[in-house]
Amino acid sequence: MVDLSINCGGIKSPNPFWLASAPPTNSAYQVCKAFEKGWGGAVWKTIGEPVMNVVNRYGSVDYNGQKILGINNIELISDRTVAVNLKEIAETKKLWPDRALIVSLMVESKRETWHDIVKRAIDTGCDGIELNYGCPHGMSERGMGAAVGQVPEYCAMITEWVTEASTIPVLVKLTPNVSDIRYPGRAAKKGGADGISLINTINTIMGVDLDTLELKPSIDGRGGHGGYAGPAVKPIALNMVSQIAIDPEIQLPISAMGGVTTWRDALEFILLGATSVQVCTAVMHYGFRIIDDMVEGMGNWMEEKGYRSLDEIRGKSLKCITDFGSLNLLYKAIARIDESKCIQCNLCTIACDDGAHQCIDVLPKDKHVNGNVLHIGQPKVREADCVGCRLCYLVCPVDGCISMVRVDDDKQSISWNELMKQLPQPLTWEALRQFQQKHGIEIH
Amino acid sequence: MTRIKQGSIQKKEPRSVIRVYPQGLRESVISFPNNTMNQQQATIESERCLQCYDSPCTVACPTHIDIPTFIGMIRSGNVIGAAEVVKTSNALANTCGKICPEEIFCQSVCTRAKQDSPIQIRELHFYATQMESRKGFSRLKVFSTIDGAVAVIGAGPAGLSCAFELTKLGHKVDVYEKDGIGGVPRNSIPSFRLANDELESDTNFLSRFFKTRKEDVNARLFEEIRHHHKAIFLAVGLGVDRPIGIPGERLKGVLPVLQFLHKAKIQPSVLSIGDRVVIIGGGNVSLDAAATAKRLGAESVVLIYRRSESEMRVWKSELNEARRQGVEIRFLTNPVAIVGKSEISGVMCRHTRLSKEKDESGRRVPVELKGSDFVIDADTVIVAIGQSVEAEWLEGFERTENGYVKVNKNFHTSVSGVFAGGDMVAGEGTIVQAVANGKQAAHTIHEHVSKKLR
Ligand SMILES: Cc1cc2nc3c(=O)[nH]c(=O)nc-3n(C[C@H](O)[C@H](O)[C@H](O)COP(=O)(O)OP(=O)(O)OC[C@H]3O[C@@H](n4cnc5c(N)ncnc54)[C@H](O)[C@@H]3O)c2cc1C
Ligand SMILES: Cc1cc2nc3c(=O)[nH]c(=O)nc-3n(C[C@H](O)[C@H](O)[C@H](O)COP(=O)(O)O)c2cc1C
Ligand code: SF4
Repeated sequence: MVDLSINCGGIKSPNPFWLASAPPTNSAYQVCKAFEKGWGGAVWKTIGEPVMNVVNRYGSVDYNGQKILGINNIELISDRTVAVNLKEIAETKKLWPDRALIVSLMVESKRETWHDIVKRAIDTGCDGIELNYGCPHGMSERGMGAAVGQVPEYCAMITEWVTEASTIPVLVKLTPNVSDIRYPGRAAKKGGADGISLINTINTIMGVDLDTLELKPSIDGRGGHGGYAGPAVKPIALNMVSQIAIDPEIQLPISAMGGVTTWRDALEFILLGATSVQVCTAVMHYGFRIIDDMVEGMGNWMEEKGYRSLDEIRGKSLKCITDFGSLNLLYKAIARIDESKCIQCNLCTIACDDGAHQCIDVLPKDKHVNGNVLHIGQPKVREADCVGCRLCYLVCPVDGCISMVRVDDDKQSISWNELMKQLPQPLTWEALRQFQQKHGIEIH
Repeated sequence: MTRIKQGSIQKKEPRSVIRVYPQGLRESVISFPNNTMNQQQATIESERCLQCYDSPCTVACPTHIDIPTFIGMIRSGNVIGAAEVVKTSNALANTCGKICPEEIFCQSVCTRAKQDSPIQIRELHFYATQMESRKGFSRLKVFSTIDGAVAVIGAGPAGLSCAFELTKLGHKVDVYEKDGIGGVPRNSIPSFRLANDELESDTNFLSRFFKTRKEDVNARLFEEIRHHHKAIFLAVGLGVDRPIGIPGERLKGVLPVLQFLHKAKIQPSVLSIGDRVVIIGGGNVSLDAAATAKRLGAESVVLIYRRSESEMRVWKSELNEARRQGVEIRFLTNPVAIVGKSEISGVMCRHTRLSKEKDESGRRVPVELKGSDFVIDADTVIVAIGQSVEAEWLEGFERTENGYVKVNKNFHTSVSGVFAGGDMVAGEGTIVQAVANGKQAAHTIHEHVSKKLR
């Protein structure tokens, strides 16, 4: 049996899948429906100050016929009153004692205001609190959300106000709109947080309508930046999550999000250190029902690979993360084309010729079909010249046609940092060339 | 190391490329005929699925497979989960993945068709079960069951599905089958459409859930089975070819279609059918027989049918396939006698026209045209005008107008405690309908038996 249950900074849930604080967690109706479908937890839509929304709140990037590669929003925190939200949270928690229910909060930066809202949240019986330091629009102009998340000192101060009043676990949700995510992360730790949630949405302008010359989306002719989420932001989120996970000063449980759409995405976050994963855009696109595949798919993968619990895999891929200076300079791989699979589209040829290192030749090969002659060019990698950049592998439309084949003898290894200790400093091109020649590395 | 391009920028002649698709290639590129999709094709196809909320496909599939869910699982790379979804809804998931006429079921209502073209649903579920068996790993475990209150007679699609569903409901089931398990898909459906291992991937999986005894059930055994069980599910299908009732039917060289297909599948080497084959009948079974005769080497294969093409009850894909293989189809032609001395030499036919009158099937009635007789030369005549249920031990059962075994909406026959489903109650249908019958019947049998147990 595979065990998918988790404990994230003291918040327990039967599986690692939580709904992120966003429209899918607006109401008791939605959260109860989601729990019924099998979601392990939910972070209620952020509650707090009085707000009013505008219309045409979302924009999206579509790609090659696929809808919503990324979504951007200028929605604010919950536009329903705090009292209504807290009542529904209490009712929901009573109905679903085994799921994780977390209340997301955002109020003005006053100690008493925070103490008051934290106490009222705890009274609902919820399992934890999430502090929304992320919202990049609307709230930040009023000194909340990203305005807090971007200044580590504020971040530490408010977290401290909350943790001194709270009897339940506190997660701090970070904004990605900073140059180094570790600083707000360390500030949260300093303020006494029990865990870190990330990432909130990323500042973006979705596009310009070429007929009206207005922004997309347009609110009565005007617009501005919004927060970007969905599959497109996953690589950014993976990087930030791993940075928090490996920082020796932080060492807190992580609730990760940003583009999680399937169980595969979720596993990647867990392998990079996450304990729970949160989902918003995928649910807005396909509904709560995606949880079926998430739970099934993760369970099947674990059983197939022989893992029994998520603790066994958490952070397992972090050991691969290193800085550039520690990578092996003598590891060498080249591209190889499997001619039995090649469909002769020659996308690799053009990519290599125009965008890389000019080492794919096209060998003419004529084929007679129904009396016509087809001029087919068979691409072939000139292996001695291939620098192993991997571009052709990426553009090839056929699965398994181009592979990167290791060609070094796996006996030698030297990193840039080690090399710099061997070569005379300051480094000259001359000295570097000698090293390259010695190892048969030719630069064209 | 020579570098050709360094320094000298050569201007290349633009290559003129003529792309020619040999005939038939395009079609086969688009419709993955006999091959499983590869992962890339499956991913692209599953991404086309709109995941629409009402999923009409799920309603239209007689076994109600949760189609958007399993397609979503293929999209995420969870093929094991996808296989689990299809297999727990449809006991013959792999077989149906290969030969279910999706165009009259799930695919006929696909929302995506309103946008461009429908999703290749069947091909995707075939992909799921194939990938699962390639991985050789399934989380579906044998369920624990309570002792033998129910018997199933006939291990074709309906019987197998009923036994599987009953096992899921907690019953230990005794299955009786006179041949190997699999029914028509095993005995008659040509192997070029359904290979043995494709069926076996289902039957091997199902065999883990119940025991099958090799018995040809007769009146005595039937009574014995009744005595030992609280309920029986009958699913013996349509085993008997209908005689055509014209002169010459007994001549050497006249073959009933099921016999012919069975031989062609099991021992093709002992069949000698000659160069000229005539098939009588206008259904899917006739088309299978025609295509099989072609594959056995017959030079000319002529299919005769007394009505016109629009009255033919066949799947378009099969008709096209038969034509592609060179089968000649003569409409408005009625056989009146099979001619020959001891061996046959041909079929005497008469032209027909369609009258305004319609028969009970709603199709126009063919009327023979006097004086239009002609003979089609033949070495073999295959009679494919339908099958019937016949068994002396089934005599006590009430029948429908068409001679099939009569059941109520709970699949209960006129005999208490005996249920029935599949072709024997509905006439020639499809695998998926037989599977659905078996599954539904399992639930009413469960109710019946539970009441008895209480
Ligand atoms: C040539 C042909 C091609 C077809 N092609 C397709 C197709 O492509 N797609 C599709 O969906 N459907 C197709 N069908 C229809 C489909 O095969 C049937 O609808 C389906 O098999 C009916 O299932 P069943 O379980 O009712 O009966 P059967 O499949 O007939 O199974 C009955 C079983 O009962 C056993 N049995 C009979 N009598 C006894 C006895 N006395 N004791 C013990 N066991 C007994 C038989 O041996 C057999 O195994 C085709 C049918 C034919 C004839
Ligand atoms: C429409 C919308 C509204 C959101 N509202 C909130 C919010 O009120 N509070 C909050 O902490 N995050 C909010 N978020 C951010 C999400 O919780 C989440 O961090 C982000 O969408 C990344 O996850 P995803 O890629 O799964 O969507 C919102 C996101 C969207 C798309
Ligand atoms: S999704 Fe619902 S709320 Fe949003 S614009 Fe459409 S109808 Fe209105």
